[in-house]
Amino acid sequence: MADIHSFESFAALDGEGIRYAVFFTGCPLRCVYCHNPDTWHKSGNDMTAEEVFNKVRRFKPYFRNGGGVTFSGGEPLLNSEFINGIYPMLKSENIGYCVDTSGSVALTDDVRQAVDNADMIILDIKFCDSEKYKKFTGGDIEKPLTLGKYCSGKGKRLVLRTVVVPGINDTEDEIEKYAKYVIENGLIFEKYELLAFHTMGFFKYENLGIENPLADTPALEPSRLDELQKHLDKTLKVIGG
Amino acid sequence: MNDNRNAWRNFNKGVWCDDINVSNFIKMNYTAYDGDSSFLEGPTERTKKEMSRVHELLVAENEKGGVLNVDTSKVITILSHPAGYVIDKDTDIIVGLQTDEPLKRGVSPFAGIRSSVQACNAYGYEMSDKIKDEFTYRTTHNTGVFRAYTETMKKARHAGILTGLPDAYARGRIIGDYRRIALYGMDFLIEKKKYDKDKLGEKEFLDDETIHLLEDLAKQIEFMYQLKELALLYGYDISKPAVNAFEAIQWLYFGYLGAVKEQNGAANSIGRIAEFMDIYIERDLKENTLTEQKAQELIDDLVIKLRLVRHLRTPEYNDLFAGDPVWVTLALAGVTNEGKHMVSKTSYRVLNTLYNLGSSAEPNITVLWSERLPENFKKFCAKVSIDTDSIQYENDDLMRRMYGDDYAIACCVSAMKMGKQMQFFGARCNLAKILLMTLNGGRDEIAGDQIAPEGVAFGDEVLDFDKVYTEYKNYLKWLAKLYVNTMNIIHYMHDKYAYERLMMSLHDTDVERLMAFGVSGFSVAVDSLSAIKYAKVYPVRDERGLITDFEIKGNFPKYGNDDDRVDLIGKDLIEYFYRELCKTPAYRGAKHTLSILTITSNVMYGRKTGSTPDGRKAGEPFAPGANPMHGRDAEGALASLNSVAKLDYACCRDGISNTFSITPDALGKNEDDRIVHLVTMLDGYFLQDAHHLNVNVLNREKLVAAMNDPTLYPSLTIRVSGYAVNFNKLTRDKQEEVIARTFHHAM
Repeated sequence: MADIHSFESFAALDGEGIRYAVFFTGCPLRCVYCHNPDTWHKSGNDMTAEEVFNKVRRFKPYFRNGGGVTFSGGEPLLNSEFINGIYPMLKSENIGYCVDTSGSVALTDDVRQAVDNADMIILDIKFCDSEKYKKFTGGDIEKPLTLGKYCSGKGKRLVLRTVVVPGINDTEDEIEKYAKYVIENGLIFEKYELLAFHTMGFFKYENLGIENPLADTPALEPSRLDELQKHLDKTLKVIGG
Repeated sequence: MNDNRNAWRNFNKGVWCDDINVSNFIKMNYTAYDGDSSFLEGPTERTKKEMSRVHELLVAENEKGGVLNVDTSKVITILSHPAGYVIDKDTDIIVGLQTDEPLKRGVSPFAGIRSSVQACNAYGYEMSDKIKDEFTYRTTHNTGVFRAYTETMKKARHAGILTGLPDAYARGRIIGDYRRIALYGMDFLIEKKKYDKDKLGEKEFLDDETIHLLEDLAKQIEFMYQLKELALLYGYDISKPAVNAFEAIQWLYFGYLGAVKEQNGAANSIGRIAEFMDIYIERDLKENTLTEQKAQELIDDLVIKLRLVRHLRTPEYNDLFAGDPVWVTLALAGVTNEGKHMVSKTSYRVLNTLYNLGSSAEPNITVLWSERLPENFKKFCAKVSIDTDSIQYENDDLMRRMYGDDYAIACCVSAMKMGKQMQFFGARCNLAKILLMTLNGGRDEIAGDQIAPEGVAFGDEVLDFDKVYTEYKNYLKWLAKLYVNTMNIIHYMHDKYAYERLMMSLHDTDVERLMAFGVSGFSVAVDSLSAIKYAKVYPVRDERGLITDFEIKGNFPKYGNDDDRVDLIGKDLIEYFYRELCKTPAYRGAKHTLSILTITSNVMYGRKTGSTPDGRKAGEPFAPGANPMHGRDAEGALASLNSVAKLDYACCRDGISNTFSITPDALGKNEDDRIVHLVTMLDGYFLQDAHHLNVNVLNREKLVAAMNDPTLYPSLTIRVSGYAVNFNKLTRDKQEEVIARTFHHAM
C-alpha cells in the first residue's frame, strides 16, 4: 500500500518519452521553493501496487520511444517497498520506470533495490553546501550525495537537476559551485538540467493555509535560465574534461 | 477510349482503363514516398503576388463584417456568372470562381427562400425582386419539409431536442469524385450515365425508386453538360481526360467549382485527391515538363482557390457552424488494403501550403493516420500541427476495415467511399436535454411544454440510477423513432427540391446511402448518469413543479479519467441509442450511422438546456463532440484520450470527434521532443481504435489576447470540433467556450 497524491497521464518533461507520473505523498524535506506542498502530508488515498499497476498498464500504447512510469512525489523513495512490489508487474509488461527523487533518504536495502531496478534516476542537487542545504530544505546534504555516488558506482543512468531561484542561487558564481561539487564528488551523470523557479504552485500554499516563504520571489526568466544552463554546461566541460 | 492514349501515356494499365475505377488507377500508379520534407519548395513570386491580393480581400471581407459582397441580382448556378479571377486570366494558374469576383457570394434559395432572404438582410443586402418572383410559385426544400412535418416533429425541433437539422439549408456532406473528370474526361462519364439510364429503363417493372432514379440520372446528365460549359467559359475543354498535371488539377477543380456553384450544402468536401494529383505531377517531373517549384505552385494555387469558396449564410446557421466554414475537407495519406502506405510527395506539398500561404482553416486537411505511415511523414505532420494548429487526424487503420482504401472525409469526421457512397446528413439530437425531459415526464424543463409522451413521475427523494436509466432508455427509444422519421422527411424533400445533380453525377449510379444521425451533450449525459449512480443527487423543483436543478452530495467518477465506472456508462448509452435508431428504416434504403460530433453547436445546445445532474448549470455550454467536460479530466491528457478511445466506432461510424489542446511547454522541452511526443501520442491513441483527434498546441493566454485584440493575431487558426476556424471569426461566446476548454499543461 502507498498513499497516492495523484496521477498525471501525460508527463513529457521528466524522463524519456511519454511518462505516466505517479505522485506519492510524504516528503522528509521542506524546501522553501517547493511547488508541491500539497504532497507533504497524506491524502488518505491508499492504493495497492496492483491497483496502481492496473492504471499504468492502460497507457502502454504510449510508451514507445522510451516512455514509461515516473515515480515522483513527495519523495518516491520513501515508498521503495511499494516500488519493489510493483516492479515485477511492470516488468511482465515490459514497462520501465524512473524515479524523480530528492535523494533525501537513507540508503536501505529497499532503496537500493528500487534504484537498481530503475531505468533512470533523476536526482535533485538542491544545494551544494551543507549549511544552505539545511537552511533551505531542512535536510542533510550527505544523503543525496550518497545516493548519487551509489548510482554512479552502479553505472545507473543519472540525470541531475537543480532549481534556480532568484536571489538564492541565480548567479554564474553559484552555478559554478554546483558544477565543482558534482564533479569533485565523482558523480557520473548523463545530463545536468537547471529548472526555473516558478510561481505556479503558489495557489497551493493559499489553499493549504500555510505560509509561502518565497511569496515575494518572482519566477526566473526563461532567458536567464538559458544563460545559466549554458554557463553550467561550459563549466562542466572545463572542469570535467 | 482509343483517344486516351496520350492522356494515359506511361500509366500502368489495369481495370481502371475499361470502367470507372479511380482507386485502381491510383494503386497501379502512385509513387510512395518515404523521405523527409527537405525537397519542398517555398512560394514563387507569382504565388506571393496572388496571396497578397487574397490577403487584401480577406482584410476587406473582415472589415465588412464577414461578407465582402453579395450578388443579389440572380440565383447562382453553374452557368450564372461570367468567368472571374483573383488577379487576371494570365496570373491565376488554376482558374475559376463561384461568381465573377473573388469572395462575392451568390444567392442560392433552393433549400429555402426564406433563409436566403434573411441571409441577404443580415449583411445589409436586399434580395432582388427577380429572384423573389422566380421563387414565388416554386417549392423549396424548406417548404416541402414543413408541409410534411408532424406536430411532434415541430415541437421536438422547437424545444431543441432535435436541432440543426438540414431542413432550412442544404444538407451537404456529399463528395463528388472530382478525380473522375481528370482521369476519364466528361464525355466518357456522360456516356456512362446515359448507358446506366437506358439499362435501368429496361427493367420489367418501373417502381417508385426506379422512376426516381431515372429522373435523378436525367438531372445528373443535364448538369454534366453544364459543367463542360463552365470550363469553356474559362477557355478549357474538359470533354477529354487531362494530359498533364496542370490539366488534372484544373479539371478536378472545375468539378468541385461546379458543385459549389450549384449547391451551398453545409459541408462541400473535395475528397481524397493528393495522391491522385501526385501521379500526374510525377509523370510531368519525369518528362521534364515540370519542376518541383512549379509543382508546388500548382498545389498552392489550387489551395488558394479552395480558400476562397464562400456561401451566404443566415445568423442562425452561423450559430451552429461558427466561423464561416465550407469544410473543403481534403483527406490524405492512409494505407492500401494491401498494407502499403499511400504517402506521396504531394501529401507533403498539400501540407506545405500551410507554410507557403500561411495557416488557414480551409481546406480542412485531414491526415488519415496509420501506424504504418512512414516515420518521416508522421513527424512532418506533427511539426505542421505544432506550427499551425490547422490539421486533424483520423484513424485509417480503423476506417479502412469498414470503408476500404479509397474513402474520404466529408465535413469533419464522416467517412465515405469516394464516388460509391453518399450521406444524408442529420445534425444531432440533445442527449442531455432528453435526460432532463425523462425526469420531468416528457416536459421541456425550460418552456414547460409537454413534448414527449408522459412517463413515470420522479419524486423529491434521491434519484435512483436504475429507475432513471430505464426511463431514460424509454425516452431514447421514442426519440430514435422520431428522429429517423424526421430525417426521412427531410431527405425525401431534399432529393425532390434541392437534389445535388452535379455531385451525384460524379458517383456510381447504384450509390450506397448512409443516413448520419448525431448526438450532442454526450459527456454531460454520461457524467449526469454517473452522478446519479455514484453520488446522491436530489432534484430541486421550481414553482411549476418542474425539476430544474439538482443538489449533489458526494463525489462521482467523471468521464475523461480512463475510469471504467463512468466510461462504460457512456459506451452502453451510445450503443443502445444506435441500436434503437436502426429499428426504424431509413429513406431510400440508407444505412444508419451515428456521430458524436457537435461542430460548434455545443454552445447553442448548452444554451437550450437546463441545469443537469452533473453540476453543469442551465445555459452553460456542453463540451464539444465526444470531449470530456471542461476541466473534469483531472488525470491528464492521455487518461482523457483513453476514455474517448473506449467508444465503439462500429456503432459510431459517422465519427467520434475529440478536440485536444495542449500547451507547447507540456508537450516537450524542445521542438524535437514535441514532435516525437505528439507522434507517439497519436500512435498510442489510434492503436486503441480511437477515431479522431483535433490537435491544438498553444497557450490559453494567446487566445485570451486574441479575443481582446483581434488585430494581434489576424490569422490565428485553431481546431474546434472536426474543423478549423479563424479564431477571430468566432463570436465572443464561442471564443469564451474555446478558452474554457481543458488545456493540458505542464505542472
